[in-house]
Amino acid sequence: MNADASNITATAQLAGKYLTFALADEEYGLPVLRVREIIKMMDITEVPQVPPHIKGVLNLRGKVIPVIDLRLKFGFAPGDVTSRTCIIVVDVALAAGRVMMGVIVDHVSEVLNIPADEIEQTPEFGDRVCTDYIKGMAKVKGTVKILLDLDRVLGTDDAALRAA
Amino acid sequence: MTDNELAFLRDDPEMADLFMAEALDHLGTIEAALLALDERPGDVTLLNDIFRPFHTIKGNAGALGVTSVQEVAHRVENLLDLARSGRRTMGPEDVDVVLRAVDVLTSMIRDVGVRLSGQPGADLAPVALALIESVDMLISGETEVRLKPDTTIGPDPLKPDTTESRPDPVSSARRGEESTAIKVDTRKLDSLVDAVGELIIVQSLIQEDPALANHVDQRLAGNLGQLKRITAGLQRSAMALRMVPIRQAFQKVSRIVRDLSRKADKSVELVLSGEDTELDRKMVEEITDPLMHMVRNSIDHAIEPAAARQAAGKRPQARIALSAYHQGGHIVIEIADDGKGLDTEKIKARALERGLIAPGASPSADEINALIFEPGFSTAEKVTEISGRGVGMDVVRRNIDALHGRIQIATEPGKGTTFCIRLPLTLAVLDGLIVGVGRERFVMPTTGVRESLRPLPAHVHNVQGSPRMVQVRDTLVPLVSLGELFGLPHESDPCKATVVVVEDAGSRVGLVVDALLGKQEVVIKSLGETFASVRGIAGGAILGDGRIGLILDAHGIVELERGANRVAA
Repeated sequence: MNADASNITATAQLAGKYLTFALADEEYGLPVLRVREIIKMMDITEVPQVPPHIKGVLNLRGKVIPVIDLRLKFGFAPGDVTSRTCIIVVDVALAAGRVMMGVIVDHVSEVLNIPADEIEQTPEFGDRVCTDYIKGMAKVKGTVKILLDLDRVLGTDDAALRAA
Repeated sequence: MTDNELAFLRDDPEMADLFMAEALDHLGTIEAALLALDERPGDVTLLNDIFRPFHTIKGNAGALGVTSVQEVAHRVENLLDLARSGRRTMGPEDVDVVLRAVDVLTSMIRDVGVRLSGQPGADLAPVALALIESVDMLISGETEVRLKPDTTIGPDPLKPDTTESRPDPVSSARRGEESTAIKVDTRKLDSLVDAVGELIIVQSLIQEDPALANHVDQRLAGNLGQLKRITAGLQRSAMALRMVPIRQAFQKVSRIVRDLSRKADKSVELVLSGEDTELDRKMVEEITDPLMHMVRNSIDHAIEPAAARQAAGKRPQARIALSAYHQGGHIVIEIADDGKGLDTEKIKARALERGLIAPGASPSADEINALIFEPGFSTAEKVTEISGRGVGMDVVRRNIDALHGRIQIATEPGKGTTFCIRLPLTLAVLDGLIVGVGRERFVMPTTGVRESLRPLPAHVHNVQGSPRMVQVRDTLVPLVSLGELFGLPHESDPCKATVVVVEDAGSRVGLVVDALLGKQEVVIKSLGETFASVRGIAGGAILGDGRIGLILDAHGIVELERGANRVAA
């Protein structure tokens, strides 16, 4: 419970190990402590009446977990399923407690140890870009990794769904 | 207690275990009620809650020949009976003595276990005698009983013995044999049941694996069969762990009947039967509220005041019968009152007024009666403290739906109403019909399925160009295309597809699906909070091939369809 504690924006507390993955041409990072496992693309059962980015549910060794397509969630064009497409199973803190969720990404890259001095606070992009999901930006080897606030990315869905 | 009292129990160890477990359970109940009584002396319900278990213990002990236990329980019962009939108020002394009786009886019951296991028992006779004496003294009117140490039976039996040489038989028996029942955190039980559910899925995956199907080997087949039997046995045992008698729910109902009959000034006799019928612990919890709602409604609406009852030629005292029994893998709970019955005409008028039925429609009596389960529906002329606000029956049906149960009403004007609730024994497993739409499969709980058919073109009626009704024998049933509803590719011609007629609260709809794929017992899994707002889906189940099939919720589908029609209209 260090880097993933919510609402802490101080970069020092963001330092730690991240699992990085690709979505379209961008690189993102998730706190590695929240990652349960990475599985290859599986057969997903669609659930009606939900936004398109909620792909449905899958059977993870007897557990039913929801699966989110992060590309659609972030407004990218739908991606083709390739041999590198995979589902990152993460622990999320929702209003009702901790649950497991699957996140579809283009491919996973590596686990990086990101020190505090490589992390910058999220800049203001103006109104057009929602930065709520972003904890910070990390510059690693000349590229920028966007560090995600998992609970916000995945937690907003049920809030929106309940309001609907 | 003497060993020859135990002759009967020794022959039937199972009965002995049951007797002891039940008695100890009752003593626990009594103790809790006594403590409450201390704060509210004269509370009749509490007194009854104390009296009844004593009576049961007495009866059981008598039937099994344990006369010393019977005797103690009998004497205490005498005292309680005085209080129950209002001839005595239970003061602190009385409560003290009865509490002491609980201790003594607990020791005696434990002593039974000790003796049955072949060890020498404790000599509890003096303690029992002393207790009986103090009870008798209270009864004989010496309200200021202060028990003096009695020289004939040694040290004060009501105070723990402090001398080392003669340990208090009560506490030594308590320290002796512990009960064979243990308390387990329900979460541990739930995770066990979950794990067994998963085991069953994997077992059926292996059993149906095509690689094995082609492989003929007698030993493998034998072992697989054995595995299947053991898994099924394990499942039964795991489920049995969570089964408890429905008594707890019935007791709450007894309580409410006593309270309300006094409040509403209607004399009501509650007849309970089948309190020992077992079902899943969670179901007992979930069904308690609906039962209380329904009994509350019965007393307030259905049961007439005594004068009106007499005028109608009925007994002035009304009768509500609450019974539970097993039937075909389900539990059936019936609530029958002998009140005035449902006023179908009045319900119909109210439903027309509220637009619940279209003018000119001619619904059947059953369909009309089912309308009392609609939200906000009440025909009560006046709102009383008890009910009439139209909340309640819809909640009842929602709760029962959530338990995958069904509720039916049988009513006869002037004679009374019977509600019949049919529930599965457990929430964890569901008997389902697997249906296919497009490439998705769904599980329809069989409790809601009436029949399935492939209609003839002549029986399908179009409305505004699309098939909307099907004639099933002589009734018209609205059609709902599951594929259309859920936005899936599907067979749109009902004559090439299959229609599954499902019933929800008296109204029927025909679900159009592409195919019937089979029947399977599935383990119900929640889809989680993410899908909390999805209607028409009750959960997920892992099917034979490891994929998830969504479990359909007939009520939700009917509501969805109605909603869609309303928007379209």
